Amino acid sequence: MISSLDNFSNYLYKNKHILLLIFLLPPLLWLGIIYLGSLVVFLFHSLFYLDGFTGKVVYQISFSTIAELFSSPANIDILIRTVVLALAVSIGAAVIGFPIAFYMAKFTSPKIKIFFYLAIMLPLWSSYLVRVYSWKLILAKEGIINWVLAKLHLTWLLDAILSLPVVGGPSLSISYLGMFLVFTYIWLPFMILPIQASLERVPNSLLNASYDLGATRRQTFYKVVLPLALPGIAAGSIFTFSLTLGDYIIPYIIGTSKFFIGQAVYTHQGTAGNIPLAAAFSLVPIGVMAIYIYFAKKLGAFNAL
Amino acid sequence: MKKVSIIAILFSFVSLPLFAAPLQSLGSGEGELNVVAWAGYLERGETVEAFDWVTGYEDNTGCKVNIKTAGTSDEMVALMNEGGFDIVTASGDASLRLIAGGTVQEINIDLIPSWDTIDPRLQNAEWHTVDGKHYGTPYMWGSNVLMYNTNAVSEAPTSWDVVFEEKTLSDGKSNKGRVQAFDGPIHIADAAMYLMYHQPELGIKDPYELTNDQYQASLDLLRQQRELVGRYWHDAFMQIDDFTNEGFVLSASWPFQVNLLVGAEQPIASTIPQEGATGWADTTMVHSDSENINCAYMWMEHQLSSNLQSDLGVWFGAVPSVPSKCGTGLMDPAAGIYQEGQNACQINGIDNFDKIYFWKTPVSKCETQESCVPYYKWVTDYIAVLGGR
Amino acid sequence: MIKALNLRNINKRYNETVALSDINLDIEDGEFFSLLGPSGSGKTTCLKVIGGFEEPDTGDVTLFNEDVTYTPPFKRNVNTVFQDYALFPHMNVEENVSYSLKIKKIPKNEQKSKVDEILSIVKLNGYEKRKPSELSGGQRQRVALARSLINRPKILLLDEPLGALDLKLREQMQFELKNLQRQFQITFIYVTHDQQEALSMSDRIAIFNEGKIEQIDTPNNIYLKPKTAFVADFIGTTSIIPKDFAKKSLKYNYGFSIRPENININSNIAEYDFSINASINDIQFQGSYYKILCQTENINLTALHYLDMKNPLNIKIGDNIQLSWNKMDITNLDD
Repeated sequence: MISSLDNFSNYLYKNKHILLLIFLLPPLLWLGIIYLGSLVVFLFHSLFYLDGFTGKVVYQISFSTIAELFSSPANIDILIRTVVLALAVSIGAAVIGFPIAFYMAKFTSPKIKIFFYLAIMLPLWSSYLVRVYSWKLILAKEGIINWVLAKLHLTWLLDAILSLPVVGGPSLSISYLGMFLVFTYIWLPFMILPIQASLERVPNSLLNASYDLGATRRQTFYKVVLPLALPGIAAGSIFTFSLTLGDYIIPYIIGTSKFFIGQAVYTHQGTAGNIPLAAAFSLVPIGVMAIYIYFAKKLGAFNAL
Repeated sequence: MKKVSIIAILFSFVSLPLFAAPLQSLGSGEGELNVVAWAGYLERGETVEAFDWVTGYEDNTGCKVNIKTAGTSDEMVALMNEGGFDIVTASGDASLRLIAGGTVQEINIDLIPSWDTIDPRLQNAEWHTVDGKHYGTPYMWGSNVLMYNTNAVSEAPTSWDVVFEEKTLSDGKSNKGRVQAFDGPIHIADAAMYLMYHQPELGIKDPYELTNDQYQASLDLLRQQRELVGRYWHDAFMQIDDFTNEGFVLSASWPFQVNLLVGAEQPIASTIPQEGATGWADTTMVHSDSENINCAYMWMEHQLSSNLQSDLGVWFGAVPSVPSKCGTGLMDPAAGIYQEGQNACQINGIDNFDKIYFWKTPVSKCETQESCVPYYKWVTDYIAVLGGR
Repeated sequence: MIKALNLRNINKRYNETVALSDINLDIEDGEFFSLLGPSGSGKTTCLKVIGGFEEPDTGDVTLFNEDVTYTPPFKRNVNTVFQDYALFPHMNVEENVSYSLKIKKIPKNEQKSKVDEILSIVKLNGYEKRKPSELSGGQRQRVALARSLINRPKILLLDEPLGALDLKLREQMQFELKNLQRQFQITFIYVTHDQQEALSMSDRIAIFNEGKIEQIDTPNNIYLKPKTAFVADFIGTTSIIPKDFAKKSLKYNYGFSIRPENININSNIAEYDFSINASINDIQFQGSYYKILCQTENINLTALHYLDMKNPLNIKIGDNIQLSWNKMDITNLDD
């Protein structure tokens, strides 16, 4: 008995890939069947269509749902609105997040760095909804920002900003500007941490080498620091971009009630029972992300990996 | 959500309608009752201690109540299709779907002693009675109201025109940007109801059964409304916040928000204008495969005969299905309940029953017209209206 | 004559740690000068002060008669080869090497010819498009050299450049570095903890210990005439005879050091100035010789026995032997 067990363990030792397979099989099955499988089944629904008369899903392969998605101006509006906001949020988060990440990675003592980690992560430990609702109050017409600006006699400035076409609105909480602020705030940690990690991996000797070769701080930043931080910025923007593409909570709470992709998916598959159209909407973020990553790779975002 | 819906689809193939005879005699309780309900519908005193209509039932019957709350009618249907539940508080836009799908069973009203106390207008209502068979016990009903800020609108508006057309309000400012509307597609029915009154030539007979022309006219009205609406409301508490902090003054709303805003001493009042109002009527229905059927029947009796009807009416701003329960509800300003107990039913619109168009799911095969625009079109087009198209 | 570098009274502290203490150093133009010392002795900090990456707390740094104490690195005509080479990982060999030319906005075609020239000098033609990650350690070293030399700096600072290479490669690179220095006729300031490397390559060496310079001299003098016990001990193998032992047992008034090759075993005592009895603690085979570790009282002495047909090793561990040497071979140590 013992010898056969021994033989078995010897066998496993010599054939390490079998042992690996035994360990990896359950998570792989999980990933493959539960995770990807259900996603594929759902997305496959975009090839079915809703019968206009009965309102029931017809299980026949057809591109009519996808055609419907791209032929309706209202749907195109939703797609463009979402992608533009996601881009703006990613850029905003990178612009705000980079200096913080740079400071954390290069200029802090270990103690202060822990403080920064906590400060960045702490909001993530509280409820997402609580934070979004708080922002609704902060941005409201009777909210903190208005109050502070009124005290500073700067209400005219806010009014001027809110009277801008497209981004403005009756109040910050009922405008694209407000949505941009809230989205940027909510996803900022997902931008700072990858950038910080990528900068952490840039040894100081590279910066010294650049100064040594005659580059000023500014030149060093653009030629050495920024290219080496690009994978971090790309990773961070993949988070902020895809999270914004899929979110449906913030557009319900902040903004002008104009729909975003996440809401369209939620509404079509939920209240309308139009699963094919919901699936077609879900294809868009996947496609956009694929294009986004393709171009990020083309532009060399992952060269320094 | 994705997975739930797929399962729901699978079930719609598997569970064929079972037209078995209803229960003939009542046995003893099985000790458990699993409920799918709207949030706030089954209170056991956890929110406000005085509001408890579950504990009494458990003590009397020995049936332990397990509550699963649902946020939308579709979630309710999906949960019921998944199984494992005994009863559901279904709204009119879900109840007929559950009956057609065979998910709920016919009930024997002889086993519910208090059945005769139900408002006669509800006893045979079309959203739970099919071919003379009863599929549930009326739970609660209510109407949407026109909520307004008395600082901006000094007298109760007599028409919904203040939310559909640009007007100068009594504070001298336009209503533009100060109007809210519900962000669910069912709001199209509010516009149809308005047109039904003001443009009889369209021939609208039921705001939930619209021909394409009637439907397009309703959408045009809503596009006009989009210019007035800064933000649509989605959630009762968000609307309360918007009326408090964002300067909104007019909206089609629920008595629930009105009560809470009045309770918070905001200058808020409500009315039902001449065109009437849309509303909801919920029914307790029993799952076809319920394993605790005796407890389910005992619950239906409890819901009619106990403090549930009166207290829930006060709590939720709704009207009891048992008129004799009017005026017996709790009244506790200290607990934040400002509804006037004696007049609760009047305030919540018991006399407006005939003016109310109860929610139901728009379907292609409709009764009052040759063919109607189905609900999924409502969804797509209302999203477009919200987006400014 | 103008010195390539002067350091005057340089002091530098990191919090409580003294990194450099009163450093004075003159380096001639065209010299191959090494800063040698154990790790933490201040040699790298000294290099950083010269390169401009650290500012001294006090003192002056002068390059070719120009005070550069507070001049940033990018304005000094000095280039550095870093310990880890510090090649830019996102640039290929050509881009790395031409980095400083690009910064100076030198025309493209001129850049190209300069890069070609320097790459042929370090024997890296054909590797222009490779990324640093695709090069071997030795090749990276050459790229780092090329990148620093392309500007023809007046002084090249090298921070343990061969530390990461294996022995064979290191010996080859030592030879090539020396050749490059002759070819370019520029000053090399070379930081190393490897005494062999410093002795074989340098014109002069500064020995660092605990933030101070112990001795500045030619390799020959450093080896044969160490001024302090630290230098004597640090450079090569040596036996230190403390002053009190010398007075008591050898009737000599100074402490001194003696190299093992100058100690004779069991020779005719009359021919030598000093002689002492010791027992053998260990005998270590070293290839062309044996190292004989001896002890008398608490003094350790090391002698050598060269392999020779006529002179077989006829001693063993535990034997008592006679060690003797001449006065001319000892180095008196400062107290």
